[in-house]
Amino acid sequence: MTTSTEHRRAPRAGRPSTPDSHGFATRPYDLVKEFVVALVVVTLLTVGLAAAFSSPDEKAITMRDWANAAPNDVVATAAGELAGTTTSAGFGPPYNTAADGAALGPLKLQKWAGVTIPLDSAQDLVLIPLAGVTDNSALTDALAAWQSAGADQRTQWASDYSDALAQAPDGNPDSVATGDYGPVPVIAAGFLTLANTGGLEGALTSSGNFYGGDQTKSLLLLADGAYLEDQARARNLGGDQWGMMNETGNYPGQPWMWLYTFWYQVPPFSTSENADALVWGLMMLLTLGLALVPFIPGLRSIPRWIPVHRIIWRDYYRDHPRR
Amino acid sequence: MRPMILLADGAGRYVSSGVIQISVTNLVIIAAMILVFVLALVLPFPGRHHQDSSDRDS
Amino acid sequence: MTAVDTDQPPVATPTSWTARVRERISRIVPPGQALPDRQPAYMSSWIYVFGVLTLAALIVVVASGVVLALGGVTWWHVSSLGHFVNSLHLWSVELFFAFMVVHLWGKFWMAAWRGNRALTWMTGVVAFLGSIGTAFTGYLSQANFASQWISTQAKDGLNSVGVGAFFNVMNPAQMLLWHVVLLPLVLGVIVVLHVILVRRHGIVPPIDADEETAS
Repeated sequence: MTTSTEHRRAPRAGRPSTPDSHGFATRPYDLVKEFVVALVVVTLLTVGLAAAFSSPDEKAITMRDWANAAPNDVVATAAGELAGTTTSAGFGPPYNTAADGAALGPLKLQKWAGVTIPLDSAQDLVLIPLAGVTDNSALTDALAAWQSAGADQRTQWASDYSDALAQAPDGNPDSVATGDYGPVPVIAAGFLTLANTGGLEGALTSSGNFYGGDQTKSLLLLADGAYLEDQARARNLGGDQWGMMNETGNYPGQPWMWLYTFWYQVPPFSTSENADALVWGLMMLLTLGLALVPFIPGLRSIPRWIPVHRIIWRDYYRDHPRR
Repeated sequence: MRPMILLADGAGRYVSSGVIQISVTNLVIIAAMILVFVLALVLPFPGRHHQDSSDRDS
Repeated sequence: MTAVDTDQPPVATPTSWTARVRERISRIVPPGQALPDRQPAYMSSWIYVFGVLTLAALIVVVASGVVLALGGVTWWHVSSLGHFVNSLHLWSVELFFAFMVVHLWGKFWMAAWRGNRALTWMTGVVAFLGSIGTAFTGYLSQANFASQWISTQAKDGLNSVGVGAFFNVMNPAQMLLWHVVLLPLVLGVIVVLHVILVRRHGIVPPIDADEETAS
């Protein structure tokens, strides 16, 4: 009786077919015992490593933390949202149509996916949270002035203020050059105050809902500022610092991400606007290659050319010398 | 439970050479994996001498 | 030589769905090969233990994950026992990936896809990818600084190819459910398929080995 599950083929020229594994000499082996031993070993290793090294848990940056540590960055970010110059404001799909986004050759995948998480950066991230502030009449007036102004006027005020902040020493709003910024300075200052109260995340996440859970708005706002990235880069987590592989402190990271993050370190990806889509496309191709190794001539023959297997099966080859 | 060996250290320790930059911890992990792989290849596997004489399982 | 009983009517192909399913299941793995207590003598290398080590590590990952799930997302930030369980989860994941990659290295150098075992190799690669995805959603579910940074970075990559339109890494409520329900289920199915294929085809013989003739 055969236990073979193989369909016998005539050997290809130069390549003998693989014999059925059930036609070889055997010896007793306890698979279940092997599994139990493996489980015990892994459990002991895990407990030992966990007890010795623990795991990282750096507290999340709250809006209040951000406001305390980098108030000028908060003000600049608020102005940028109003001017439409922040990352989220100009992102394109899935948040808005401000840009087409990345393309992989002719494939405009980002655009084709559409706007499924609609976001108006100025409204959703700045103005709506501020509308809930009731004890600041100057702010209320400023918001009214903003809403009643035309779109071009708003953009003018906000862009000019953004530029002025960038020119001011340390980005300090108090040292900004005089100019016509309309209600923007008051709005931005009010935004900083709101962040300082600790109520900004709630205003962004729950927005009249009660149950939060979706942190998209808070995260987009935080990422529009410079503080989050500064903190990340200080911990070697930046994209061009092999960050995808790393973890805070000396904790183990994700070594298996080495090849994905490698491409971001070298040209042409390191200097390309389209790096994300390009790296994704390349990695998908390489992954397909890995999955299809059995079918790729040359690649599948490497184990023959570099005979590591002669070490693995040295006992067998010694007992069964080649004829 | 306080860990015996503190790994929390803000920026962490890194080594770099040209374009390559890797955390000491990740480097240790990868080196250990390679070592384990090589040892798995070269260390003799017990049980050869307990082999029964040729047997078939079909 | 078998005696033929000429009085028995020929066995008809079963029409019952249950019988057909039973027949198919019994033919997935050759009789006695699901959990044999013997193995080919050419399996005499430590490299062969890394598959079962990977499987064992996966079980520890899931078990520690189950305990984390009992306490919920915020538990391990406020409880030292919870933090220890989180550490178990992290280190079992590191071991899982380490063993899996060593297992992959071994299988590559053995050209283990030979003899109709291409699907075994491919399910292994898919399991590797699925594991990376599962780990990724885990990192997103930590509710700490790492989650903030990873989500805001990853969104760029995912959005660039349109995936972010339906897979929102900045939505922890969605990512957590992918991490504890959807991806483990899919990964579990792939791992089961992979192991069944291993038992079905048997362990690949050495390169250039000839089948031993019966004595």
